[in-house]
Amino acid sequence: MKIGIPQSLLYTYYYPFWKTYFEELGIEVVTTPATTKSIIDKGVKASVPEICVPIKVYIGHVITLLEQNVDYVFVPRFVSIKKGQYFCPKFMGLPDMIRHSMEGVEEKLIMPFINTKSDNIADAFKNNIFGDKFPLNHKQNKRAIEKAEKIWLEFREYSKKGYSIIEASAIALGKASKEAFQSLNQKKIDVTIGLLGYVYNIYDPFISMDILSKLREMGVKVKTFEMLEEEDFNRQLKTMPKTLFWTFSDKLLAAGYHFYNDEEVDGLIHVTAFGCGPDSLLGKLLELDASIYKKPFMTVRVDEHSGENHLQTRIEAFVDMIKRKKLKVQRGA
Amino acid sequence: MKVSFPYMGTTVVYKKLLELLGHEVIMPPKPSQRTINLGVKYSPEFACFPLKVIMGSYMEAVEKGTEVIVTSGGHGPCRAGFYERVHSRILEEEDYNVEFIVFDSMFRDYKKFLQNVLRIKGDSSWYKVGKSLMLVYDMIKKLDVLEKEVQKTRAYEFKKGETTRAWEKIQNLFDRAYTKKAMEEAFEDGKELLSQIKQVPIAENKKVKIGIVGEIYVVMEASINMKLEEVLGSLGVEVERSQYLTQWINYNALPKFMNHSHETEILSKGERYIPIEIGGHAKQTVGHIVDFSERGFDGVVHLMPFGCLPELVSQSIVPKITADLGIPVLTLSIDEQTGTTNNLTRIEAFLDLIKGKRVRKIS
Repeated sequence: MKIGIPQSLLYTYYYPFWKTYFEELGIEVVTTPATTKSIIDKGVKASVPEICVPIKVYIGHVITLLEQNVDYVFVPRFVSIKKGQYFCPKFMGLPDMIRHSMEGVEEKLIMPFINTKSDNIADAFKNNIFGDKFPLNHKQNKRAIEKAEKIWLEFREYSKKGYSIIEASAIALGKASKEAFQSLNQKKIDVTIGLLGYVYNIYDPFISMDILSKLREMGVKVKTFEMLEEEDFNRQLKTMPKTLFWTFSDKLLAAGYHFYNDEEVDGLIHVTAFGCGPDSLLGKLLELDASIYKKPFMTVRVDEHSGENHLQTRIEAFVDMIKRKKLKVQRGA
Repeated sequence: MKVSFPYMGTTVVYKKLLELLGHEVIMPPKPSQRTINLGVKYSPEFACFPLKVIMGSYMEAVEKGTEVIVTSGGHGPCRAGFYERVHSRILEEEDYNVEFIVFDSMFRDYKKFLQNVLRIKGDSSWYKVGKSLMLVYDMIKKLDVLEKEVQKTRAYEFKKGETTRAWEKIQNLFDRAYTKKAMEEAFEDGKELLSQIKQVPIAENKKVKIGIVGEIYVVMEASINMKLEEVLGSLGVEVERSQYLTQWINYNALPKFMNHSHETEILSKGERYIPIEIGGHAKQTVGHIVDFSERGFDGVVHLMPFGCLPELVSQSIVPKITADLGIPVLTLSIDEQTGTTNNLTRIEAFLDLIKGKRVRKIS
């Protein structure tokens, strides 16, 4: 049996888990290549025009998988991974959008509910997620979950050490050694930037035009939200009268305030997709508070009409500005 | 204290409740172009339209001297639950001095809820609070009955605009009523007013009925949905909304285990398409389309604010429902770019299609 996983949305965050789990059960995992213009075009055609780019990209990936003759496509329904918090409504209705907008795909979709207490989603797989589509042995399932969970936790540990998600994922899955990624221990770092954005924006080379590597090439140390510890978030969230009720947005907001308070971080870049609802609110709150913490804050809004040069220019200017500001402080001006 | 609230639908209701509790109420002005401009200027660009309009109307209310704004909270997953945080932060940034009293669900933070209730209660006795609540609930029920009548009468009125004027008069009558007896009188007078409107006789089988579904704010607030109900009425169409205040209160005030309101029935009708509550009114929208179709309506207009998260999901599913049930649905997405003529044309074309479909059925 072949199962397809679209390389989009929370793929980067959970891929080590999903891949290990399915392979332990003896299922062949097929993934789509990184987003390309043709994939996104398929998605744009099949979705409502107003919806945000990540969803269009996701639908494009699903269509690509369906064309590749996989037996099933894995489209999890993320409901909640923290008590009292949810996902953006579009995540919660994602399988519905797909199964109702394409003819005859419903029986090809595997749509487990992800409704767990923490972002370790192992619990959601305890019950048979396949229905009668796959003969599942209870013992085998348990073993697969254990292994997947272990690998995923390892992967998170690497993330917290400062490796980007792609690197951490490669290390955890044993595809690369730690030494392969030396970018962390560079000799001289003069600027550190807090890069805010969802994993499916930052790590999708098409959506964000690989902003992370671009920054690193400029000798900038990049911190992202998944590199922070749970306590870092909680400390920030405690001081707020009401937190956002979308888990990842909540993490971003907390990460934003953490970066504001973190002396090492010189400035913040917020990467957001055109039409992203949760971001419209959290971006505004962070933007208003930038003046209080006296740190530069820039919003980069991306959509399917991407212009790579404009991004390059903007981040270069942003980094230059920070460098100059620091130089001035050093000179005591 | 001088109190105000977000402007939505039949505002006399909220005003009445606060007045009965002894507060001085500052009516927020009806959303106008100025309100929208103000809101758009200070709100985040990609925030949904209701947030912007309410932002503008808060600013206008504060300019009129409001000290406290009473509003409802929420716990997601729709953005509306976080409005107040953004609103109060922006108002603070722009030096508008105002305090918020936010009613979150009492099951979430009981203490805070009680505190808020005590503040709103002020010096009135609990007996008075209970009595006022009952009175206002009664008033809402009566107004809803009359409004449904208005939506029917408007389609067949002889003189254009007469019904709308009568409806305004009725709201005024209720605005002046402070006792149960006065409400009763206003209700009777209202019915009388409506029955006096001269109607064009139309055969029962020629009547066209359209349901309006979608996100609650754009459905309920006429000044931002291009007065859709009036437009449809003037084109000779009976309308019914998916949302009325009575339903909203029945559904939201009762705890889950004993909640058998109309709303739960609607939700179960939407189950086929969206199995879980995904926030906002997506599931209701889908359920209502199914419901309207079962009740023999000729079509449905689906309203949503631009970029509304839950409604985008329901919009994606609408074509499937139309295919399954054969009910025409027109989705209009609403924001500050008010292209009235454009939308009017679309609505007219939609009605032509519906009428054409009927003729085809008969022949």
